[in-house]
Amino acid sequence: KAVGEGGKRALLQNNGLSDGLNLEKSLTMKKATLTTSDSGHCTAEEAFVSEDESEESSSLTTEEEDSENEEVTRKKFPKSAQVVSGQKLGSENLTDEISDVEDLLKEEEDYKEENNYSMETSGALKWKEDLSRKAAEAFLRQQQATPNLRKLIYGTVTEDNE
Amino acid sequence: MATQAHSLSYAGCNFLRQRLVLSTLSGRPVKIRKIRARDDNPGLRDFEASFIRLLDKITNGSRIEINQTGTTLYYQPGLLYGGSVEHDCSVLRSIGYYLESLLCLAPFMKHPLRIVLRGVTNDQVDPSVDVLRATALPLLKQFGIDGESFELKIVRRGMPPGGGGEVFFSCPVRKVLKPIQLTDPGKIKRIRGMAYSVRVSPQMANRIVDSARSILNKFIPDIYIYTDHMKGVNSGKSPGFGLSLVAETTNGTFLSAELASNPQGQGTAVLPEDLGRNCARLLLEEIYRGGCVDSTNQSLALLLMTLGQQDVSKVLLGPLSPYTIEFLRHLKSFFQIMFKIETRPCGEELKGGDKVLMTCVGIGFSNLSKTLK
Repeated sequence: KAVGEGGKRALLQNNGLSDGLNLEKSLTMKKATLTTSDSGHCTAEEAFVSEDESEESSSLTTEEEDSENEEVTRKKFPKSAQVVSGQKLGSENLTDEISDVEDLLKEEEDYKEENNYSMETSGALKWKEDLSRKAAEAFLRQQQATPNLRKLIYGTVTEDNE
Repeated sequence: MATQAHSLSYAGCNFLRQRLVLSTLSGRPVKIRKIRARDDNPGLRDFEASFIRLLDKITNGSRIEINQTGTTLYYQPGLLYGGSVEHDCSVLRSIGYYLESLLCLAPFMKHPLRIVLRGVTNDQVDPSVDVLRATALPLLKQFGIDGESFELKIVRRGMPPGGGGEVFFSCPVRKVLKPIQLTDPGKIKRIRGMAYSVRVSPQMANRIVDSARSILNKFIPDIYIYTDHMKGVNSGKSPGFGLSLVAETTNGTFLSAELASNPQGQGTAVLPEDLGRNCARLLLEEIYRGGCVDSTNQSLALLLMTLGQQDVSKVLLGPLSPYTIEFLRHLKSFFQIMFKIETRPCGEELKGGDKVLMTCVGIGFSNLSKTLK
């Protein structure tokens, strides 16, 4: 009896798995990698749930016939599958939202970076124009602005000597 | 001196000390005319006469001629002799007036100078002995003048007008001076101070400390202001109080400020709180001026750079004081040394007021008087 039940369970689980996969595939064709990994996770949970339930049911109905047991499990399974699919849907929505936000952020970042880059380059270009001329101007300005202390202290005679 | 260099001639009473000190070091005679010639009380003052007597004591073979009215002075310097000397300074100026010149001359004596000076230790005009001890001595150490016998001690404190203070100064001799490269003043590390009071309530010093700290505490935590209350015979003849503050930087530069109370019977009474606050502000002003040498010691640093080995010395100074500017002119006429003067406007690197970078090559002055042992 136990072996038969186990075999049936395995079968059921397989069915559930395939169902879940199908559902997921139909729901999320776009994001393949993420969803497949998700689905694997979910199916494991699902398997656990179904096992627990089936065990409970078996413990409750140990003296009942196989067919009844099967029926029970069959009845239960769609429910659990539905629940699981519902969960999947929820998670699906969540992941979608997150990915959207991420995409937005990424886009924004990209945009900003591009902007900065362009600004920097333009600034650098401006800054690099006529460097030698600017240096010469700054030097002359400095020379004119600062008083010649040597001249002030030692007088004009020394200036002639220089 | 054996070489009979032609004498330099000046007119007027200004910068008498500079001229006499540089004359002594260079060996060139100096003639000064028209000393207060148009004054109601013409001629040399008591404190100047006292200074000339001091020069006579520490040199050997000086010839000093003063005319009847004291308006003309001829000074032919002898050799710097040194040794143990005592001198009663005039109470019209503080001991700092005499000590500033002694600091210039002491490293070039034949025998190490050990001198006891009596008079006024702190007044409102000249740098006090406290400030000179805190700023000029570390500066001399930069030039290689150092040793156990290098000390400046206040034995008794005397305030104007009575005086009655006593100071002991001893300085080792050196054959040559090290060139210096002081171009980075660093950042302020700590502030030390000395609040002194003589013949007044000892509480005065505490009140000065509190008010000075009220300003300085905002800027740096490492502040310690000592209180010095001398009693009995050590307190001189006149009451008074004052404060001297010294800021030390990370690179060993000392910047100072000081204030003293009005002498007894002159001017209005000064509150110790006001004195403390004003002195703290003066210190902040001095820090703003900045540089690697305190503004009171600018000329001392420049002189020792001039007299150093034949090597390049550099020093970054704050704005030059009028006294220093005149000193530079005198250095040119006595030693034919002209400094390279570069202005350094304040920027990212240099904070505060505009700085001046002074560069010169020493004349290779060696202490001829010093006996070789």
